[in-house]
Amino acid sequence: MLVHLQGAWTPWLGRLTLSQIPYNSPIVLGAFVFALLMAVPIVALFTYYRRWGYLIREWITTLDHKKIGVMYIIIGLVMLLRGFIDGVMIRTQQLLADGPRSAAHLQAVHGYLPPFHFDQIYSSHGTIMIIFAVTVVLTGFQNIIVPLQIGARDMAFPYLNAVSLWLTAAGAALVMISLFVGDFSHAGWVGIIPLTELPYSPGVGVDYWDWALQLSSLGTTLGALNLITTIVMMRAPGMRWFRMPFFTWATLSTQTIGLTAFPVLGVALALLSCDRYLGTHFYTAGLGGNLMLYTDLFWIWGHPEVYFIILPAWGIMSEVIPTFSEKALFGYTVMVAATLSIAGLSWAVWLHHFFTMGAGPGVNLVFSVSTMLVGIPTGVKVFNWSLTLYRGRLRFETPMLWAIGALFLLLVGGLTGMMLAIPAINYTVHNSVFVVAHFHTMFLVSVFGIFAGLMYWFPKVFGFRLDEHSGRRFFTFFSLGTVFVFAAMYILGLMGMTRRLDYLYDPHWQPLLIIQEFGIFLYCVSVFYFCKMIYVSIRDRAKEAHGQDVWQTSRTLEWMTQTPVPFYNFAVIPVVHGRDAWAMRRDSGLTATSPDQYEDIHLPNNTIVPALLGGLAFGFGFGMVWRIWWLAGFSLLGIIGLVILRSFADDKGFTLKAAMVRRMERNHEDTGIMTDHISPPVAELMLFQ
Amino acid sequence: MNPHPADPLDHPDVRNASAVGFVAGYAASVGLMAIALMVTLQHEMSYAGFVIAIAILAGLALLAQALLMFQLNLSGAQRWKTISLLLVVPLFVLSIGLTGWMFHTLYPRTMLDFMQVQGNGM
Repeated sequence: MLVHLQGAWTPWLGRLTLSQIPYNSPIVLGAFVFALLMAVPIVALFTYYRRWGYLIREWITTLDHKKIGVMYIIIGLVMLLRGFIDGVMIRTQQLLADGPRSAAHLQAVHGYLPPFHFDQIYSSHGTIMIIFAVTVVLTGFQNIIVPLQIGARDMAFPYLNAVSLWLTAAGAALVMISLFVGDFSHAGWVGIIPLTELPYSPGVGVDYWDWALQLSSLGTTLGALNLITTIVMMRAPGMRWFRMPFFTWATLSTQTIGLTAFPVLGVALALLSCDRYLGTHFYTAGLGGNLMLYTDLFWIWGHPEVYFIILPAWGIMSEVIPTFSEKALFGYTVMVAATLSIAGLSWAVWLHHFFTMGAGPGVNLVFSVSTMLVGIPTGVKVFNWSLTLYRGRLRFETPMLWAIGALFLLLVGGLTGMMLAIPAINYTVHNSVFVVAHFHTMFLVSVFGIFAGLMYWFPKVFGFRLDEHSGRRFFTFFSLGTVFVFAAMYILGLMGMTRRLDYLYDPHWQPLLIIQEFGIFLYCVSVFYFCKMIYVSIRDRAKEAHGQDVWQTSRTLEWMTQTPVPFYNFAVIPVVHGRDAWAMRRDSGLTATSPDQYEDIHLPNNTIVPALLGGLAFGFGFGMVWRIWWLAGFSLLGIIGLVILRSFADDKGFTLKAAMVRRMERNHEDTGIMTDHISPPVAELMLFQ
Repeated sequence: MNPHPADPLDHPDVRNASAVGFVAGYAASVGLMAIALMVTLQHEMSYAGFVIAIAILAGLALLAQALLMFQLNLSGAQRWKTISLLLVVPLFVLSIGLTGWMFHTLYPRTMLDFMQVQGNGM
């Protein structure tokens, strides 16, 4: 039943041989040395300071939504750096390989990257940036902030939350290991059909892409389920629907999209896997198959995914802009309606990704109109943010700078999106870098939103502010880089440059390619300032430490609790009396949060099971990629066995006594430090005590 | 904060689950999908009859999962699950309906023997 493949295969190692490790490629070797240089100091520091036990007890086994959120963000930022390096390589190759007389370096005929390597880089760039960087960082924010904003102690299902994280980590690890063992897909992040079918891609690259997406999409679906349940069931007393902070509304809309759309991706990829492993013909051109079905299924997920990425960023902007305008969000109810309607419309626009496939004019017309309809609620949002800024007491601190930057990018991305919604224009610029520039502009709205959120909530999570001086330079160089790269790219697209080119035939594009490369250089400078900002902030953390509300004008419930937030979130669950609960309390002079009476707090124990499940999921994915059947089989059995075993574990969590809560809170108020900080015990360690 | 039950297994949602219902739902789903697979492999029905048969089998599998596995009903304890199921309906109409319409206009333009394929029941 299994498809017979040409080439070596052994029962123990499947298709894996020593020759699959590309140690003769100078670029891959360089990447390996870079990864070593990054990893070795971290491992050495943990070993020198003997912090491995701490890492396992407090982080790897944690079920605390804040720590899980931080780990999501760290994974996302690492992947963002990897994806950025891919982007630098793509643009540099295109600059060097322009025209027949362009120079050749390394193993390439033009430029420095051979076509097969270039194809893998643009595929991994897209996959990483969308699935493993932006999505993951935004999920991290939602994990950290939503329970705090609704006054909950944790997520509805803390254990499931950790499982989601480790499944995502397993998917990201598969993408990363493909750099050093085997290849990555060369069929683009969308998995261009029939290029992903076995006859056209007999290697392991497509399988890496496939299983990495499968694992992470499972994690995202479970995470969506968890966040929706948390928002519906875990709100503090008095937190009615229309008292919820706007970021929570954005999360609810986002995760509804996630819960409904990601299973479609799972199905699309499962059918592709059946074609590649079992020899079925779901997406082949013969034997009853239909390769257009893949494109349809992929974009049924793909366009909702766009809003899955953009809505949380708009949620962040809707928190940052009111805080730094020192007034409430204008038109809260309309904003909620706009967000929900965008989530609904996201399910009715996917065909605009393949207007040129050949469907009838009636179909293209309907999807064109539905796409343009998205412009209405989006326009409402832009006006509402503008009217929030109008007559506000504006403070241009770094979070506000990123939010305003996102607003400008949204105008550019939104208007070019309206252009692309018109089938006649879409036919003209289809597959050109004009489209690439458009969707990068929209994704950069998310990235700007992410950095706004990072600057805004970092002090809440870690207790000290990020360095404003380096932060401003980071923003300036990043924004300038964006202008140079993508303004040039829009023009190149209108000049007819198509996407995914490893060799450019027209030397007249050279000046604009140089401008793009200059923009890439500015991005590199911004990365330097980002690293400097983190370094300076940690170095000066004592100087930048602050109380519960660092910005003094923030409005929502997360600013009410201690900073950094204790693992139980709130000493006593707050009662909410209106929208913008924290601003209401501050305006009424009720900022003291010490209750008269403390209460026992029940919390879940930490557990190693989610991390083990992530490890087994990675083993399963790796086994499937290389067709090491014993590894895949044992990993799958391990997952099933562990889930069943855990379901029988008599783990009822632990209770933090009221006296301890009082002592910790009082101590924190006196010294600003959680000196009596304790964490939930690890369930498995308790078995040995 | 909602009072926390001493044992998570005492939660009403968990108590609503039934081992017999779960096994019956699982068996019914697998059985119906196996029948669908056999119908597909045999190639003995006309195109229209095949599509109708597969649709009916898929509907029955859906019902088996909803009623037997998830024990869905209209009681207050189940209202979120019922709402979730109802929310699936517009998504189903949008994704399946619009996809069907798209392919209906796409095939005659891109697959020259489309009408012939339908007529032969392939």
